Amino acid sequence: MKSAKFDYTRPHDVRAAIHALADALGEAKFLAGGQSLGPMLNLRLTRPKLLVDVSRIEALRSIDVVNGSIRIGAAVTHAEIEDAGASLARNAMLPAVAREIAYRTIRNRGTIGGSLAHADPAADWPLALAALDAVIIVNGPAGQRSIPSARFMLAAFTTQLADDEMIEAIIVPELSPSARWGTYKFCKRTGEFPDAAAMAVFDPARRIARVYVGALSGAPVPLDALARGIAQQGAVALTATAVDRAIAMAVPELDAVGRKMHAATTMRAVQQALAS
Amino acid sequence: MNQVVFTLNGERTEALVEPRLHLADYLRDTSRLTGTHLGCEHGVCGACTVLIDGQPARSCIAFTVACDGRDVRTIEGFEDDALMKDLRTAFTRDHALQCGFCTPGMLIAARDVVMRCPDADDKRIRSEMSGNLCRCTGYLGIANAINSVIQARRGGGATPAIRTAIAANAPVVQPLAKPWQAFTPADAEAAAPRPAVAAPLDDAGPREGWQRIEESFIANHSPGRVWEIFADTAGVAACLPGASIDEATPTSAKGRIDVRFGPMKASFAGATSLERNETRMEGRIRGGGSDSLTGSRAKADITYRLASEHDRTRVSIVMDYNLQGPLAQFSRSGIVKAFAGRMVAQFGENLNAKLGGGSAPIPLAAGRTAELNAGNVLWQWLWSTIKKLLGLTR
Repeated sequence: MKSAKFDYTRPHDVRAAIHALADALGEAKFLAGGQSLGPMLNLRLTRPKLLVDVSRIEALRSIDVVNGSIRIGAAVTHAEIEDAGASLARNAMLPAVAREIAYRTIRNRGTIGGSLAHADPAADWPLALAALDAVIIVNGPAGQRSIPSARFMLAAFTTQLADDEMIEAIIVPELSPSARWGTYKFCKRTGEFPDAAAMAVFDPARRIARVYVGALSGAPVPLDALARGIAQQGAVALTATAVDRAIAMAVPELDAVGRKMHAATTMRAVQQALAS
Repeated sequence: MNQVVFTLNGERTEALVEPRLHLADYLRDTSRLTGTHLGCEHGVCGACTVLIDGQPARSCIAFTVACDGRDVRTIEGFEDDALMKDLRTAFTRDHALQCGFCTPGMLIAARDVVMRCPDADDKRIRSEMSGNLCRCTGYLGIANAINSVIQARRGGGATPAIRTAIAANAPVVQPLAKPWQAFTPADAEAAAPRPAVAAPLDDAGPREGWQRIEESFIANHSPGRVWEIFADTAGVAACLPGASIDEATPTSAKGRIDVRFGPMKASFAGATSLERNETRMEGRIRGGGSDSLTGSRAKADITYRLASEHDRTRVSIVMDYNLQGPLAQFSRSGIVKAFAGRMVAQFGENLNAKLGGGSAPIPLAAGRTAELNAGNVLWQWLWSTIKKLLGLTR
């Protein structure tokens, strides 16, 4: 249970980190919180020649409110988002999601950028950030680009991130005062990866209605028709049949148990948003 | 070897360490601070919990080299800590330990819970402590001990520090619900397209112990033209991301497929035999390969069938596969299917590009290399194995 040998470098800025990765010709990995990479290294399931520690790069470490959006640096930890309370008052869904991730010891080290880049289908951030219409800012030798979070994750452990790119920040829109949201996940044990998860965001002022299911075999899936129906009609549109049909159409590969679990989590997440 | 300087239990510590040396090994083997226990050694059991810059962290997945400049505090560093003294007394009184192996980690996590959640009830204590495992199943005693310390502190009146902590830890509550305000949403950003799920092609199931994947795609040319292309072993292989052919005849091929799964890379080297039935427009590819680094072995039996569909060709593929070594324990089959869907779709895109006259394969996504990213397959196996083996969680 000891990692294979690797070299270690801790660059001070994003540019240097990108160079360090590029110079290693595909043999390097970024290390942020290391809560997924650490176990993989110890089990020798991965053997990079170089770890580029980005966890202390100042530019990746802050939460800022800019022009109606919240910019979260990629190396901000889940615990920091959980504790950010007041500065995230305009998007209280973020600390609520952060608080439910794994355990505090994991949240103290694990980062939002690391979670997105790792792209576990059952992870909380890919689902939450898709539902929140966040934008992922990535940087690489070819420069900076932004990717809508709904399109960032392609499949399990597969994202739009190129080999030589890193996530720099996540831009999350502020919710308007009339916005409602709900999150729900099924975990067999506290802190475990869920078997089913759903998140819902309704923001009348911004004309946003999102219902997403997660913890699937790949990226989170939107239930757009259901979200639209609820936005227009409210709780009347949230029937067991409507939810069941939405799940069956959006995720046809689920078996009966999976469909039931995802329907239940969707129902509960939307109910929470409707406060009904 | 890298030079690091950090604070260990209040004392400046200099060390020359290999980057791969994790903090728990440094603490135990070099500093002889053996109160930090190693259980699972991959961040699941919580026995190795220490404080790094005042926050509980797992020292088995924290590398010593990354602790440069940090403040590390182990169970031995709480000799004079009043709160830890209360916790020790409570743990003893409430039978919160039996063998004692988990206790150092439990105490460090418990101290954090008492400070951070001064109004925690039994349920919250249990949820906050769920990252620390006790195999003597002493959770009742542990929760009681922590609860008693929290109660005693509250009995002394809420200090400003306690009030601040309570406020900071109040659950997130949405503003009081107003009547539902109906609205028509603007269109959503389109999500990444999901692979289509093909209809079953073959009624007979796969052999015992084998898995089956069925997928199909449309090629933008006539079946005759596609059939010709499929005769070119090397040409077809070039459409498979990550594949390279060393040797090809009309009936056999040798080569390798490079796959990448998150941080892992593997190179499956092997050989295949090829059969073609022109009258039925069907072909069969049988082969196997192994990856020397992970010790995984794979066997595959692929049948493809071409059928005309509105002047174009539907290429249907049935792949039966058998995996041994690490991959064999793969459990979340939905992820394999989803991955296979993407793989076949990309093969189809590349083939269409080739048929269209272009020779360059289409990259997997903007900016990606064309290497087959088998993320789902091995990664998923890895995680499911890690999770299963140790009842793990993350």
